Amino acid sequence: MNAIAVAEAKMLLRNRLVTSCAILFPLAFGVFLFASRDPHKPSGDIAGVQAVLMIAMGTYVTATTTLAARRQTLFLKRMRGGTASDLEIIAGILLPVVLVSMAQIGVVFGVLGSSDPPANPLLLIVAILLSEAMFASLALTTAGFSNSPEHAQYTTAPIFLVSTGAAVWFQAKSLGGPNAVRRALPGGAMAELVSTAWNGNGGSLVSVLSLLAPSLAWTLAGVLTARACFRWEPRR
Amino acid sequence: MSGQAVCPRHYAALAATPIVDVMKPSTQDTVIEARGVSFAYQARSGSAKTPHVAVRDVDLTVRRGELYALLGTNGAGKTTMLEVLEGHRPAMAGRISVLGGDPSDRRHVRPRMGIMLQDSGLAADLTVRETVALAGAISGRRDDVDKVLEHVGISHRSRTRAAQLSGGEKRRVDFAMAIWGRPELVFLDEPTTGLDPASREALWSVVDELKSDGTAFLLTTHYLEEAEKHADRVGLMHAGSIRRQGTLGELTEGGVSTIRFVPPEAVQGLPLPLAGTENGLAVIETRDVQRDVAALLAWAAGHGHVLRRFSVRESGLDDIFRTLGRRPEGQEGKNK
Repeated sequence: MNAIAVAEAKMLLRNRLVTSCAILFPLAFGVFLFASRDPHKPSGDIAGVQAVLMIAMGTYVTATTTLAARRQTLFLKRMRGGTASDLEIIAGILLPVVLVSMAQIGVVFGVLGSSDPPANPLLLIVAILLSEAMFASLALTTAGFSNSPEHAQYTTAPIFLVSTGAAVWFQAKSLGGPNAVRRALPGGAMAELVSTAWNGNGGSLVSVLSLLAPSLAWTLAGVLTARACFRWEPRR
Repeated sequence: MSGQAVCPRHYAALAATPIVDVMKPSTQDTVIEARGVSFAYQARSGSAKTPHVAVRDVDLTVRRGELYALLGTNGAGKTTMLEVLEGHRPAMAGRISVLGGDPSDRRHVRPRMGIMLQDSGLAADLTVRETVALAGAISGRRDDVDKVLEHVGISHRSRTRAAQLSGGEKRRVDFAMAIWGRPELVFLDEPTTGLDPASREALWSVVDELKSDGTAFLLTTHYLEEAEKHADRVGLMHAGSIRRQGTLGELTEGGVSTIRFVPPEAVQGLPLPLAGTENGLAVIETRDVQRDVAALLAWAAGHGHVLRRFSVRESGLDDIFRTLGRRPEGQEGKNK
């Protein structure tokens, strides 16, 4: 898996177009949200949206596109001709994408936290790791339905829009609407959890668990669907 | 070719139960043994509902140090058969033993075999060196990158990204990955397609060298002369099944050879029946070259004829090849 991850990292950083889409865009969004925040409100409010938006873009869209590209060029098939297991191949390809995304979150949250540090850093880390896992597993599923990297631009749109929409819905309290629906959407509960961890309000065990559960469920759903729908070779 | 499996069944990561019934190889020297192997592609939704049977009831044996060439018409099922034996696709019926085990066993069997796929699958943004090193790292065998690149004659392109390689150079990179660490068994799927004659020669010399060390090869190719020159045994595939297999001698035995020459002015009294004329040459078909050539030359000498552009062509694979598709259904038993 290490060799695959190293090779994948090189591919991710070498192609200028891929690098800008995978690295600069999420970072730019994070910075944009930081710059346009209301400094009188607690930092956790903006952190939730930042996390979901950046991970949805940096991990979900990039991983889906990458997997579709590796399949289309028969790179996945070639990797399966060796001794690495399917799980190692997938992990090797996803690892650099997830690490880059986490580094971006680290940078943006570092800036945000320099004036107003998170109240519960441990819960914040759990929330970020779970977000990465959720979006990575959803990427595996979406890749199963994406015939090419170009096709992935469209197939990632629904989950990307719904999850970022749910995060914005959480942040814009004035939108109202049923909490249960918002939390059930991928990204809704996640934004709330990040925000809760940062601001330190309403952090009872039950409320934290109720915010963890939806993301865990989406992660599991992603893995199960991927097991049924992931394809290693292009259709022919 | 119709579609691959629709949604499920291809995520074998956590459900890798072999459908193939692995059997004990019959002798110590047997590297590949396949009995009654079949494979069908699932029908793609929207197209014809019946699955496309690509390989039908194939028997095949490859021994240590042997080169077996699988030849056939386009779409005959050669690549599919190879991919079943490589462990890329599960056989749907029949029994398979590759190096004494299941070819999809990545832990025990894969480290002993090298695979050269028909389509490259090279990552465009990796260099030649990185590409071969990556394949080496997951091969389960040890080797030296620079030596391997040197061996296949691609070391001058070591730092070039795969995207910039020519078709022939990509093929050499593919070949380098297949022979990394000198495996016991190497699959070559149309290895010389896109190679110039000198590169083809170079590739074959590496193959011959490994073969003399005991490496077994299973090859597909459209170049019949390569099979005639390098294969120990040949299997001829058509429409999913092996129609004939054996050594070159066995396959061409009893075949019709042809004698050609410019017919003399007066052709009456030719000692042998004329099969036809071709570009102004008389063509005579024979099953006994020595006897008929002798008769013909004696006749020419006796009558004072000069047989210009006289040539004899032995029956080769191309003759058998041309008749492959013609056999009427029902008479297509496996001929061993």
